[in-house]
Amino acid sequence: MKRKDFILHLIGEISSYILQGDPMRMVISLHQEEDGLHLCIIDDNEHSDEEIKKIDKALNSRKRPELASYYGAMTGHDLLGSSRLNLLGWQLKHCDVARTGSGIKIDLWLGGDRFDSRKFTIPEGKN
Amino acid sequence: MAQKEISNHTYLLIILSLLLTGMIFTGLADSGISATAKGFLKIQTHPARLINDYIEIAGTGGALLNGALVGAIGLLLILVSRIPLSGPTFAAVLTMAGFGLFGKTPLNILPIFFGVYLSARLVGKGLRDYLMIALFGTALAPLVSTLAWELGLPPLAAVLAGTAGGIVTGFFLPAIAVSMLHLHQGYNLYNMGLTCGFFGLFAAALLRGFGHEYAGAFYWFEGTNPYLSLLVPAMSLLLIAAGIVRDGRKVWKALREILTIPGRLPSDFIDLVSAGGTLLNSGLIGLAGSLYIYLIGAPFNGSVIGGLLTIMGFGAFGTHISNAWPVVTGVILATLATGNSLNSPGPVLAAIFSTTLAPLAGEFGIPAGVAAGIIHLLMVLQTGAWHGGMNLYNNGFAGGLTASLIIAVIQWYRTNKEEF
Repeated sequence: MKRKDFILHLIGEISSYILQGDPMRMVISLHQEEDGLHLCIIDDNEHSDEEIKKIDKALNSRKRPELASYYGAMTGHDLLGSSRLNLLGWQLKHCDVARTGSGIKIDLWLGGDRFDSRKFTIPEGKN
Repeated sequence: MAQKEISNHTYLLIILSLLLTGMIFTGLADSGISATAKGFLKIQTHPARLINDYIEIAGTGGALLNGALVGAIGLLLILVSRIPLSGPTFAAVLTMAGFGLFGKTPLNILPIFFGVYLSARLVGKGLRDYLMIALFGTALAPLVSTLAWELGLPPLAAVLAGTAGGIVTGFFLPAIAVSMLHLHQGYNLYNMGLTCGFFGLFAAALLRGFGHEYAGAFYWFEGTNPYLSLLVPAMSLLLIAAGIVRDGRKVWKALREILTIPGRLPSDFIDLVSAGGTLLNSGLIGLAGSLYIYLIGAPFNGSVIGGLLTIMGFGAFGTHISNAWPVVTGVILATLATGNSLNSPGPVLAAIFSTTLAPLAGEFGIPAGVAAGIIHLLMVLQTGAWHGGMNLYNNGFAGGLTASLIIAVIQWYRTNKEEF
């Protein structure tokens, strides 16, 4: 898949999830490197600790190559049903979910086999 | 966490090995070594289009050995690809073993694997990235057999034609499979059924265009055999026991949690809940399916046992009693309303395999599930002829069309309803 299309699908899925909570503010930031990218999404919704834990678990799920290439193609194509963060989780290098003043901030790091975590701001020992 | 994953993998490997070995020993106990070997060899060069029940064609021993070996090849491919055993791979192995009783053989599935591998290499991926497509793509194995054994070609040309046809088929499957997922958005569990049915339309048209007339294929074992009647219930009890051993007292809580999941693709119950709860769920589905077959007086033949093994497999990947019963009810209602008999081949298989639409009931409720079941029965009785019986997952094809229709309507309504 072309990088542009890939990014669009990722943004589609994660923003779909955030928009389900009907936020008044949503910010998406993208930082690209040659072999990877950092996507950050911020909202101003209330999120319970349980929900944050659930998001973190889905996005930091174990690698599923047998599912990611095939079923992962549904990422960002959802028009029905709830958004499924596990589709994103299979494709990530790492993810951080943190509570901000009024909402949450989700950092997603993605990349190919040559992904170099040092070029990104992934906390030490988390990649 | 890593330790638990490895343990799940090993546990499932033991369970699947026991199930496949059990199939072989059941066959040997019924038919003996000689008849089993002869039956197995006969199956390898027999046409494979729907419905060719290998038990009717080659006896219990040959059919069960063939089914177990087809399942074992799937399992081996998963292990060689270094993919951990979990919900989807568990479903794939049992589905392959099941369809090894009516359509798949070790010989007619291999070219398809190779075709999918070539396709993966073309886009810079490995077979493991398209493993599920390769495993479930063997639904088109009858196309290989048709090219090899039904066109009347000389032996060498027959083998070459079958092999080449299988490779070409496998090569195109990944591209189609992804598009089909978007059509029904994951609400048809047997997505490769829709994929292979779609491809099968073109393959059948091509062969018809060159003058090949499809001879009728209908072999359906109607006898009674205690080995066959007890095979699925015994396997189900093994799964239930394995689930209880795995999770202990927590297994019932895990099952209750599974019953709340809509089941839409991809729902790996092992990953989402637990291995023990999932095995219990699979076993209960096998028992419920067997009970239904007993109640309607249908035979436990290759196709029926194959179907039951498939839904047991998908008990780890989307199907559970709670989301399945509305769809099955819809099939039963449609069967009775159209004057068909519940124990005739089409409705029997439709009732079992209609659970491909279980996620519709899981997500949108009982009425949607019942409606899906009704439409499914009406569709599946027609679709087999469209692809000349070359797609073994004919119910997956009909289910995919049904799901696509229902999803299109719901999606149109929800996305066009004024909100601002």
